Amino acid sequence: MIGRRVVALAALALAVPAGLTACADDEPTPAAKAAAPRACPASWKPGWQQLANRVKAPVYCPTWLPSPLDGDMKGPTKNGVSVEPDHSWLASFLWHEPPAQDVHVNFRAYPGRTVIPRCEDTQVVAGKVRHRDIPCFSDAQSPRRVGRFTVTPYTVNQGVDQWHVLYLWRERRSIYTVSQHVAKPTTYRQVVANLDRVMRGLVRVGPTA
Amino acid sequence: MRLTRRELLLGGTAAAALGAAGAYELVDRLTDAPTRHFGEGRAPEQHLLDGLRIADDNGVEIVVPTLHHEMVTATVVPKPGLEEQAALERVLRRLEDEYPGTPDGLAVTVAWGLPYFRRYVSGAAERHLPVDRRASATGRPRRALLDATRFPSDSDDVLLEENDVAFLLRSDSLVHIQEGAKTIFDALDGVLEMTSIRKGFAGGGFDGGPGLPKQLATAAGVPGADLIPDGSELFLGFTSTQKHALGPPRIVNFETLGLVDLGPESYFHGGTHMHLSHVFEDLEAWYLNFDFAERVDTTFRPRLAVEPGTKTVPQPPEKAASPRDVERDFRRFGAIGHSSSMQSTSRLQADVMGADGTLYHKGTAVPQRADFNTLDNPFFWSSRPKRDGMAEGPSAGLHFVVFNPSSDDFHRNRLAMDGVLPDGTKIALEPRARGQGLNSVLRTTHRQNFLVPPRSHRSFPLVEVTA
Repeated sequence: MIGRRVVALAALALAVPAGLTACADDEPTPAAKAAAPRACPASWKPGWQQLANRVKAPVYCPTWLPSPLDGDMKGPTKNGVSVEPDHSWLASFLWHEPPAQDVHVNFRAYPGRTVIPRCEDTQVVAGKVRHRDIPCFSDAQSPRRVGRFTVTPYTVNQGVDQWHVLYLWRERRSIYTVSQHVAKPTTYRQVVANLDRVMRGLVRVGPTA
Repeated sequence: MRLTRRELLLGGTAAAALGAAGAYELVDRLTDAPTRHFGEGRAPEQHLLDGLRIADDNGVEIVVPTLHHEMVTATVVPKPGLEEQAALERVLRRLEDEYPGTPDGLAVTVAWGLPYFRRYVSGAAERHLPVDRRASATGRPRRALLDATRFPSDSDDVLLEENDVAFLLRSDSLVHIQEGAKTIFDALDGVLEMTSIRKGFAGGGFDGGPGLPKQLATAAGVPGADLIPDGSELFLGFTSTQKHALGPPRIVNFETLGLVDLGPESYFHGGTHMHLSHVFEDLEAWYLNFDFAERVDTTFRPRLAVEPGTKTVPQPPEKAASPRDVERDFRRFGAIGHSSSMQSTSRLQADVMGADGTLYHKGTAVPQRADFNTLDNPFFWSSRPKRDGMAEGPSAGLHFVVFNPSSDDFHRNRLAMDGVLPDGTKIALEPRARGQGLNSVLRTTHRQNFLVPPRSHRSFPLVEVTA
């Protein structure tokens, strides 16, 4: 029932499982509590700069992602970047360990748009395909201040953000989001702590071309 | 507040488990039991609990459930006689002398399963077990107490239990429940052999605060616990004990609605039927996949206009859904509401003059729910851990307890929940389809039906007739 892009990265499973199993408790990981650098990491910057140039709008480069992800758009945990004709974009990072463990973070933005986008929900009921037009992000929780941003957490989301907790903020008449999948071994509480850490480490990257 | 490992561990021996509170001890730490000790008279009906407070939420009257619940099931070891009957009655009366039958005291309901009637008092049972007139109308006579069955949304591995007896203990005091259960089983040592202990809680948030389900699930680290709305009566976020959704006190008595033929001597007059099941609840799936509107749609009725964050959704008699409403909703929205689908069987379809002289109006609810949330996995203790699928660690669930006038009446309601309506309409939903909302996040593990005799015959019923 959940349509989620899953990429198995078996090599990583050998290299970095400890970072995941350490998250078994509900407390934020020690790494999540550490201070984040204030510049887009050099090896990650080219991809984010290229994205900003492509959409002709600022993007936010992460300086920290939950282990074992990194924000290198050409790195081993990249899960794809897509840009729509209206310049809305999705950058996804995924680590998957069979059979069912994954760490999945999505970044999105909708330049020039402040209204929650709509998604098509398709269900087969009694053999009949039913389409519904629904908000892509719903069940908004109380807005919170995280670092420099005022974010609204959304707990029920669609498409590749399904079963994710999603933070949304508006800036310069645009919507930005970051979300993480609530999936073993990561609990809801850890996801919230991780998203807080991601938000505190975001660095703005403006278009240069 | 986090639970220690010791608090999360399962009980060892039956006796130790009976006296242990485990995670549930937190209920007493997290809440002040309200004083609600009045009207100490004991009704002839065992299933009625006196002194329940009525609260108000969203302008809707709510029957405030007791904080603590415990169900202890057992088998009867030797063939019981008058001596055993007297012993059980003695201990139950002792508890009644000791505690008022109100939430601040202790309510004990004794219910008997078909294995008891078949094994020990079969001749008398043949004569005295009530017959369900409605269920018998089209064929052979059917008793008011039937073996439990699996329903369309049940998986094949749902265990249909065969306990002889079940003791339901309800109180705002955990100590009263522990002492009550221990007193009964100490006194009947060698007669009753415990098969399971099931514990749980409900409410605790009607006067503000997060409420017990959220506090306990969070403390236990249950996935999705943080997403339970503050003040929820139950894990799934909505109030289930609003007055209009519960049957009035005596409506589930065998004799009240005329559904049941009590037989030549009306031995079980004042008795009723109880269904007991255990259901796992996937809280993360519920709160991360269904937004508030869809949770309302599938819990109550599709496209019902409800203010976000509402926990108590009015369900007055005049708004009760008919089978036609349910079918129409499904055609339009591809979904059915849990409540509305069942209202076609759980609410009176016409005014009924009850045997107790009360006029029950069309739309009045019949079932009386006594269910409670649990962290048992699936039970607090089991004498057959492998068979019952006992697992370590807490798990969100529900011990579903409901009183109906007969097994068939419960079965009709449960079938309607799966889209099999009383007028023969079958909603074409796949078992546990998303359009069934609640059903898609629930997994039933155990079921059994019981007969609840009137208080006067609660102890080894029919033994004196057989003797």
